[in-house]
Amino acid sequence: MKTFVEVVARPGPGGRTVLPVVRASGQLAVRRTGPTSVHLVATAFGPLGGDDAEVSLVVEEGATLTVRSVAAAIALPSRGEVLPSAQRITASVGGTLDLGLEPTVVAACAHHLAELTVELGAAGALTATEQVLLGRTGEEPGRWTGTVRVARDGRPLLHTTVGLGPCQAAWLPPVAPRAYASTVHIGNHETNDVLTGEDAVRLPLPGGWVATAWGTDLHRVVRAAAALIPGAPVRVPA
Amino acid sequence: MTAALLTLADSRLPAGGHTHSGGVEQAIAAGVVSDPGSLAAFLRRRLNTSGAVAAGLAAAACDAAGDAVRLAHLDDEADARTPSPALRRASRQQGRGLLRVGRRAWPAAAWDALPAFPHHPIVLGVAAAAGGLGVRDAAQVAAYLSISGPATAAQRLLAMDPLTVAAVTARLAPDVDDVAARALTAALPAATDPLLDLLAEVHAARKDRFFAS
Amino acid sequence: MPPDHDLDDYVDPYSPGHRHGGPLRVGLGGPVGSGKTALAAALCRTLGAEYDLAVVTNDIYTTEDADFLRRNAVLPDDRIEAVQTGCCPHTAIRDDITANLDAVELLESRHPGLELVLVESGGDNLTASFSYGLIDVQVFVIDVAGGDKVPRKGGPGVTAADLLVVNKTDLAPMVGADLDVMRRDSAAVRGGKPTLLISLREDPTAASVAQWVREQARARGLQTA
Repeated sequence: MKTFVEVVARPGPGGRTVLPVVRASGQLAVRRTGPTSVHLVATAFGPLGGDDAEVSLVVEEGATLTVRSVAAAIALPSRGEVLPSAQRITASVGGTLDLGLEPTVVAACAHHLAELTVELGAAGALTATEQVLLGRTGEEPGRWTGTVRVARDGRPLLHTTVGLGPCQAAWLPPVAPRAYASTVHIGNHETNDVLTGEDAVRLPLPGGWVATAWGTDLHRVVRAAAALIPGAPVRVPA
Repeated sequence: MTAALLTLADSRLPAGGHTHSGGVEQAIAAGVVSDPGSLAAFLRRRLNTSGAVAAGLAAAACDAAGDAVRLAHLDDEADARTPSPALRRASRQQGRGLLRVGRRAWPAAAWDALPAFPHHPIVLGVAAAAGGLGVRDAAQVAAYLSISGPATAAQRLLAMDPLTVAAVTARLAPDVDDVAARALTAALPAATDPLLDLLAEVHAARKDRFFAS
Repeated sequence: MPPDHDLDDYVDPYSPGHRHGGPLRVGLGGPVGSGKTALAAALCRTLGAEYDLAVVTNDIYTTEDADFLRRNAVLPDDRIEAVQTGCCPHTAIRDDITANLDAVELLESRHPGLELVLVESGGDNLTASFSYGLIDVQVFVIDVAGGDKVPRKGGPGVTAADLLVVNKTDLAPMVGADLDVMRRDSAAVRGGKPTLLISLREDPTAASVAQWVREQARARGLQTA
């Protein structure tokens, strides 16, 4: 099934942000939950293998947009032919975008593709968080392939694809994590420091950083990734 | 293919490769690599992530040899795919070494179109072009080099049986071919392995190490 | 060889002697513990006021030698570069000199007036020698504690180095080494190239070795400051 989501954030009078376009069709609904925020709401189980969701976000210069979801998404295998499910988020950001969806759980035998493509304008700022768990409780892990590409004025700043789960490149014993969390920030938080923890690392990017953690337990992994964020109160135990 | 490919892939080509372990030194320290089996797993992991990226970039750079604008763009793409400062340093360092010997071995105008301190796969692509090779050869040699150096490093560090290590490398040949072939068909690969980033950064902070990376 | 090819097509118009107009590069090689780092430190102290100089160290595992030079404030930090040799100190100075060339070029770019670079090898064995693609002249350092048979046994380091230094002569009586034997055997295997017997403990300035380096520099047109 095809799903489309489209949100446009535009600067309004008095420095406020207005959202002239907030629409969705297919398996996701989108709700305004604040002056600059929207929540994605699943209207069906899934995604199932073969489902394809396209999310288009436009944040014009001077505007701010926060995107959240109300619950974890559970990617399930297709019946019959094995097809991956996909979620492609494309963002054009002249203002500030904060994207943080609830975790994606990839059920056994499912393969989920997550793509995030962001084009930043000169003043554009981005914070995007991804949380993944392979397999529901007591279940074999599914497969997840996540690609992030962030460019500013056409110049790529970060372009990585992480493959997790059986048969994936970065998933071979003894390091085959079920849980993964990553946050990329590009804006005004320039830091040249690298920070390393146990199964966690933060790397500098122009105007920001990318913090990644992995392990068996999603809660612990999310905490480990959060601890790498500049200014975070706790550091990862060595 | 011409014999230039053999020269380019030869571990004795004095391009500085022998001082880089491709993460193996830290993988051994972290207990991730300890025997032939775990070495093979590590090499497959590396081949299918940074090896695939290198293969794609080398092929593209071979095709763009002589075109300063495209090569600079590819170097940016290499940066975007290598967020780890330690891995960037290692790649640019090896690029510099290969550029030094490549220029001498295959004099060509194409060398002058490279950006300053280019990434290793970019230089590899231009070296392939200067040596009369094609994009497939460039991808092949990049994929092969992503495992041959680290395999030797593991052999030295763990005093492994060199015949065993040679066998591991040789048996990865179909995987190398596969990675090289896929690097040509798809868009520039971007496969990454956060574990390699972490190992590289922990390694770079160490004072006691045999290898530069 | 294809008939229309001249041998010149295969060989660059190149020889180590006029490889570069940059600093004189002096290789310091020799077995572990023979006193390479101590000699490098002594040369830095003695020649530091005369030449614009820098050092490249090839520690095998740690940056200990580089740290020694720093700690003893023989040279400022930005004049010392340590390279990692991938478990193969020998390869890094002879077969694939890339990492060392990088280090030398880095020092040259940092100090445009550089006149003298000492490249200290990692401690290796008697077969270790520098490639002349990396250095202009090389010194091989052995010590009397290794036994007075070392010169007779030869090896590329002992026979081919531009200067052989036999260090720790003060220990000769204690280890039963005959300095005359070492002097005679060295002369026999070195075909007229010089050998200097020194004790860095008795002469911490390494005056005779420093003088030899000055002569090499002068032969290359470098004037003492």
